[in-house]
Amino acid sequence: MASSVPILAARGVSKAFFGNPVLRSVSISLEPGRVHALLGENGAGKSTLINLLSGALRPDSGTIEIDGKAVSRHSPPEARRAGIAVVQQELSLTNSLSIAENIGLGAYPRRFGLVDYPALAARAKAACDLVGLHEPLSTPVGELSLGRRQMVEIAKALYRKPRVLILDEPTSSLSATETRILTTLLEKLRSEGIAILYISHRLDEVMQLCQHVTVLKDGICTADRPLEGVNAAGLVRLMVGRDPGDLFPRWDSTRTERVAVSVSRFAAGLMRDVDLEVRAGEVVGIGGLVGQGQEDLLLGLYGAIPAKAASAVIHDAAGLPANVPQANTRGLAYVPADRKREGLHLIHPIVTNLMLPAFARMPALKLRSRARERETAMGLALQFAIKGDLGRAAQALSGGNQQKVALAKWMPLDPAVLLLNDPTRGVDVETKREIYAMLRAFAAAGKAVVLLSSDTPELVHLCDRVAVVREGRVITLLERGELSEEAIVAAAMGAEPERAAA
Amino acid sequence: MSDASISPHARSGSLYWAIQARRNIGVRGLFVVVLAFMVAYGFLFHGLFTGSGFAKFTQSWFPLALVAMAQVILMLTGGISLAIGALVSLGAVIAATTMTGPLGVAGGTALVCLVGLGIGAATGVIVVRLRLPAIVVTLAGSFIIAGAALLVLPRPGGAMPPWLSDLLAGNTPAAFGVLVVVVLLWKLYLATPLGLSLYAAGENPVGAYRSGVPVDAARIAAYAISGLLCTGAGLFVAAQTGSGDPIIGNSFTLNSIAAAVLGGIGFLGGQGTMRGALAGSLLLSLMISVMFFLGFTPVAQYVAQGLIIIGAVAIPQFRMRAR
Repeated sequence: MASSVPILAARGVSKAFFGNPVLRSVSISLEPGRVHALLGENGAGKSTLINLLSGALRPDSGTIEIDGKAVSRHSPPEARRAGIAVVQQELSLTNSLSIAENIGLGAYPRRFGLVDYPALAARAKAACDLVGLHEPLSTPVGELSLGRRQMVEIAKALYRKPRVLILDEPTSSLSATETRILTTLLEKLRSEGIAILYISHRLDEVMQLCQHVTVLKDGICTADRPLEGVNAAGLVRLMVGRDPGDLFPRWDSTRTERVAVSVSRFAAGLMRDVDLEVRAGEVVGIGGLVGQGQEDLLLGLYGAIPAKAASAVIHDAAGLPANVPQANTRGLAYVPADRKREGLHLIHPIVTNLMLPAFARMPALKLRSRARERETAMGLALQFAIKGDLGRAAQALSGGNQQKVALAKWMPLDPAVLLLNDPTRGVDVETKREIYAMLRAFAAAGKAVVLLSSDTPELVHLCDRVAVVREGRVITLLERGELSEEAIVAAAMGAEPERAAA
Repeated sequence: MSDASISPHARSGSLYWAIQARRNIGVRGLFVVVLAFMVAYGFLFHGLFTGSGFAKFTQSWFPLALVAMAQVILMLTGGISLAIGALVSLGAVIAATTMTGPLGVAGGTALVCLVGLGIGAATGVIVVRLRLPAIVVTLAGSFIIAGAALLVLPRPGGAMPPWLSDLLAGNTPAAFGVLVVVVLLWKLYLATPLGLSLYAAGENPVGAYRSGVPVDAARIAAYAISGLLCTGAGLFVAAQTGSGDPIIGNSFTLNSIAAAVLGGIGFLGGQGTMRGALAGSLLLSLMISVMFFLGFTPVAQYVAQGLIIIGAVAIPQFRMRAR
């Protein structure tokens, strides 16, 4: 390994949010003239590490070093002065301003206190030429496609002549041509002695472009080594593998022959050409990296967003539900991932939350029977082990108990198909265990469960089959026998050939 | 985009003008409507194209144009003000009580401007630094400012120097000249890094902050400028009426929002242009005049005004959904 002094380094940094450790004693050093890959699954701590390096967050312990010297108060302006530029996943652009005005934003050349437009034009053009942006500089950014905006974002970083360039999944919205231009550009910047940190979920890109790799798993660095001599399958193995302990219930097949959901050539939102069949009594997992369209698949089935299908059968009736009430009467229930915004009405009592789906089915002007409601709610609370007074606001519950309320409220409808969107996100271990047991119990009771999850072990241990989604398509349907974390992650990241070889 | 070929790669010196030309695209439709109303008004009122007719018309438009600008500056930052009318009143009573006194016209003007800047900046600090919702802060502010105006001048009265009233509200196009100067000053402000940051600070504050934009400073400056424009409008209104009235500005709050909406300014921040807002305020003034000449009763005028404003918001929305 080259022994040059790293321009930017983190030494043993740790960071926790609300007591949950996200990074534990992680070190990384970005050296001039090297493209450094940062890999890890969803939630492994990559974004947190970037935020520490760019000064947006401060580490709980450990130090950030610039040019070998520890900086005590790292902040975004400090980072900018040190020549650190970050291309974030969420764009920092302003749609109503032109390309040039966006590129120079925050660092305009001035003359007599005014923005020096001729100088801005010259410098912005130089940056645009580097990334192959040939639209007129006066074009408002709002008129550009997402891929072009990403290129503007990169040009904006280059405009500041950085010494360290951090790119967080820069290619996720780029076309093949744009990706090629970016790859060539990064090679050139590297040869000019810039240190580059490259985060990507596309392993082929990483293998081709990077010289060094750091792998994070659950906030711990599992590898910090040159990429030479590692193959994609080896990288995947470094990212996955967690001891499941006794978190998961025993898995027994309760699958029946009855078809609960069957769609072909289904399309909704980002999803295209989905053929999927779910039998009563089975748990079908939906896996993949975050934001590949998985949620649209559930919402489309649920009638919450417009969806099309060549043919569809749901719970013995043909056709997709046109709206949510129709989906409910046909036996579908959906539990959203964001329980605070979509799943619950936090300021209202638990009992009201539990009764909402039932209200929807009552005649609009029928008088409510408080006693009956309370009785039903008590029954649900008992069945789901929801602790506490049901008259309190739902926001008083812990995350885990909130999730149980979001799930329990559908039970009076006795849904035949449960669509669950990441039901264990932000839930404590004990509740996770309870939810897992419930899911298997639902399946055993003959319900069909569709489980969208960003947690790979969950998919492996709970599901009969897992559909892996990438870029809006189901690219693999793994049967129980083939299920493993490696297989799911490899498919999600597009490393199939290595999986076959391994 | 597809029309990129129309403007081939601009020479570096002309980038500014190319951007300005681009900004017209969104408001072309509005300009056409304004022109149509202008022609209709010209037919109804032949005096429009004489010196005094033009002067009178621009004088009726001028205060509305100023408060529309004051509102739009805030809307561009993602804020809004319900204190515009109260500030106009305060400006008017300060002008009417000081200008014929020992402070004189210069001193009175300076005081009006200082009060506007000061109250605006204070509102800005409260909204931006304490992170309170602008609509609530300015609503509360409007009560306080209206109270202050009543303290200065409990009932209509005071006086303006007659020569100033004749200059600003007589038969000269001085008001139009002042408006041109104000617009040029705005263009100048928008060409400074702080002014241009207004758009980024309103539309994508997190991104702007990450890019090194002084987001808070840009927003507070906007509130200060907005306050200045409001009390300035108040001074003009006092000159028009020759005296001060502590509630004369009341109608300007909602009219400023109406003009901004007609001008295509979005409520989410960073959407729209000042030229659109000026055209919107002009349209509103023309609408009122045209309906007056057509003999609409005041009630019918208000209903028609409301329908036109809803239409102005709905049409772009429908067009966007159809795309």
